[in-house]
Amino acid sequence: MTLLALAALGSILLGVAAGSVYIPPGDILAILASRLFGTDLPERVGTVYPAMVMGLRLPRVLLAFVTGGALAVCGTVMQSVLQNPLASPFSLGVSSGAGLGAAVVIVTGLAAGAGHVLALPAVSLAFALGTVFFVLWAAGRIDRGLGSVTIVLIGMVVSLFFNALMNLLAALSPAYAQRINLWLLGSFSMREWPALWVLLAVTAAGLCLFLRCAPELDVMTFGEEQARSLGVDLRRCKTLLICAVAVLTGTAVAFVGIIGFVDLIAPHVVRRFFGASHRKILPASALFGGAFLTLCDLAARTLTPPREIPIGSITALLGAPFFLYVYFSGRRRERRS
Amino acid sequence: MTLLQAEHITCGYGGAPVIEDISLSVGQGERLCVLGPNGCGKTTLLRALAGLLPYEGTVTLCGTDGKSLSRRETARRVGLMSQLAPVYFAYTVYETVSMGRYARRRGPLDRDGEAGRQAVRESLERTGLWPLRDRLITELSGGQLQRVFLARTFAQDPAVILLDEPTNHLDLKYQAELTDSLRSWSEQGGRAVVGVFHDLSLALSFADRALLLEGRHALFQGPPEALDRALLDRVYGLDVAGYLRKLLARWQ
Repeated sequence: MTLLALAALGSILLGVAAGSVYIPPGDILAILASRLFGTDLPERVGTVYPAMVMGLRLPRVLLAFVTGGALAVCGTVMQSVLQNPLASPFSLGVSSGAGLGAAVVIVTGLAAGAGHVLALPAVSLAFALGTVFFVLWAAGRIDRGLGSVTIVLIGMVVSLFFNALMNLLAALSPAYAQRINLWLLGSFSMREWPALWVLLAVTAAGLCLFLRCAPELDVMTFGEEQARSLGVDLRRCKTLLICAVAVLTGTAVAFVGIIGFVDLIAPHVVRRFFGASHRKILPASALFGGAFLTLCDLAARTLTPPREIPIGSITALLGAPFFLYVYFSGRRRERRS
Repeated sequence: MTLLQAEHITCGYGGAPVIEDISLSVGQGERLCVLGPNGCGKTTLLRALAGLLPYEGTVTLCGTDGKSLSRRETARRVGLMSQLAPVYFAYTVYETVSMGRYARRRGPLDRDGEAGRQAVRESLERTGLWPLRDRLITELSGGQLQRVFLARTFAQDPAVILLDEPTNHLDLKYQAELTDSLRSWSEQGGRAVVGVFHDLSLALSFADRALLLEGRHALFQGPPEALDRALLDRVYGLDVAGYLRKLLARWQ
């Protein structure tokens, strides 16, 4: 775990250092120290680096890290709550709801001119939450016990329906289609400190709640009947956890767009190394997801300068082979022993 | 003392009732087996007793009405060991058995104290799993996994254990060990067991009382010796004693 934490710190430092202009890690630390503790900056640092680090790179890298951590933790929780290794927050319709919200804002022009800069994140968060609550409500109507299969099925149906609405919107207003598409692929560019603070606060609160529910999460992986007969108030617990996941993912998605794959692979990779106990894998997946997304963002902005590759495609491009490697090398080791 | 008393239980899954008007009670040190052909509602009855399905009628657990208890309070009184389900997440045997202590913890931040760890250890030893405690449950055989779930139910330390076909997947040796450990668990601790077994001979030798179900109703309840053979033959649609004797003849 210490190793993972160090790797996470390293990825942040690397993310800040690399870019169109290389900034030596020593200088970054000096700049941070001067901001945090008021120490003097060495003369060689100059005046450009501090502005770049504090104004551009650091907020972006930290936003990537926190987003990655939030998505990974949510993925871990959803897989356990729904006892489904393929589940993710997006199985609940968070992404399609947020996407539809964003498309509505972009097409109606709320975000430009008259609207506030925060209009788009706010509306897409509202749509994301609305979608999840609708899925939960509908699942509860059909199945009083709030069974996992019901939730996943309704989540999928609602997702597909909202995706279709969003595509319809994009097709009917071709002028905005490209903007919608770009938003969908996600990006960390043009993000400021306030977005970071909001997301950081929500993520920290979410992580605390999930850690507090770690014993319930452990028991829930064994299925509904076993969890209830061991004493878990399943309906209440499930609703609470799913709502928390919705708020957390919804906030992340609202700021940076839809970034898939981290939520799915982080829990699997982390379980390979740390076992299954949630007390360990929740913090571990936060660190891993954060480091992973930071590195993905680094790749997104440095591989093909000056153009940026959309982060959503990088996560899958880098993530898929990496995931297969970790998963199957683990398998082989097991078979040998 | 009566630990579990069920009166006029009617229960189903929304449509027609699967079991109707069934009453039973078990006291300290008693073992009751529930018999009946496939689909007669044995599992449904256990799930209703454990409070996992809504039912009509009353279930009294250690003197308290089951419907007024929270899930956690219910789990301290009654533990259900279900039929084997697949496991997807690689917990160790020790971690899995510790989860039995969930209902005994006082709050979300309460860790298992000395008594809790002792209970987990005893449950592991009772089921012969102590040497396997660091193995991953995803790598166990079906029979080993079944013992892990039994150990978890022991660690839960309820007054009544409900068992749904616990000897499926078990080798003969472990069948014998499991029924022995359940018998000593109920006798020493003054606790009760209600079990569904598909092996009739095993069921009748294990239990001191039998409940026979047919087509959602109870046909018979009493000591195994008093169970009428003709009744058994009719319910199972087979000369039960003749069939079992024929199987036994191979060993004589």
